[in-house]
Amino acid sequence: MPEYTIAAVAAVAAVIALEVRVFHTGLFRRAAYWVSMGIVFAFQVLVDGWLTKLSAPVVLYDEAGTTGVRVPWDIPIEDFLFGFALLTLVLLLWERAGRRMRADGS
Amino acid sequence: MTALAAATAAPPDERWQYLAILAGCLLVTLPLELVIGARVYRRPRRVIRAIAPAVVVFAVWDVIAIDRGHWRYNPSYVTGWELPGALPIEELAFFVVIPVCALLTYEAVTVVLAAIRRRTARTRAGTAGATRTAVGGA
Repeated sequence: MPEYTIAAVAAVAAVIALEVRVFHTGLFRRAAYWVSMGIVFAFQVLVDGWLTKLSAPVVLYDEAGTTGVRVPWDIPIEDFLFGFALLTLVLLLWERAGRRMRADGS
Repeated sequence: MTALAAATAAPPDERWQYLAILAGCLLVTLPLELVIGARVYRRPRRVIRAIAPAVVVFAVWDVIAIDRGHWRYNPSYVTGWELPGALPIEELAFFVVIPVCALLTYEAVTVVLAAIRRRTARTRAGTAGATRTAVGGA
């Protein structure tokens, strides 16, 4: 498997493992999380679509590093795993920070 | 030769394109804080706790990916200002801006879902109350 593909799949697995094994925030059981990820996904298509468009790309990918599947438009599918991992990690840390701050009474 | 290079280079304003997109993301999501009341910007310490570790992890990933040639940035659309590891400052901005937009979305959705649940509960209570009154009156 190409390197970016491996890294992207591993990142998603690592973030899920972080919640299931360590944090236990319950984020994956919250409707707000899944609704938000749906909204974020739609906006990622717009923003990432602009950044990766082959006619005038802001970011250029080495085809050897990816599966080469670019959809929709010219977005490498790995980018969606990258985005999922980044934003799920942030939301997990946000939930954990909120819990800790409430526990501290701050 | 120099004239040709100058003519073919992207106009200098284009170098702000990536940063302009990120600024647009902040602008578009601002009503989530100001109108819906996501209360993300009003909790800066919690934002830092949520974003800082992710910035570090993903910046390291970015630097490795750049080094291994997985991706690179079009010099026409970035300022050219780089951090150690050839990391464009735009990427650092990306790792702050996009998570802030996601937090705003998540908190705004939480506010909206709570309002919908309250309304549904009130409607149910109202219906139950009306039924009780009707039964009690009869």
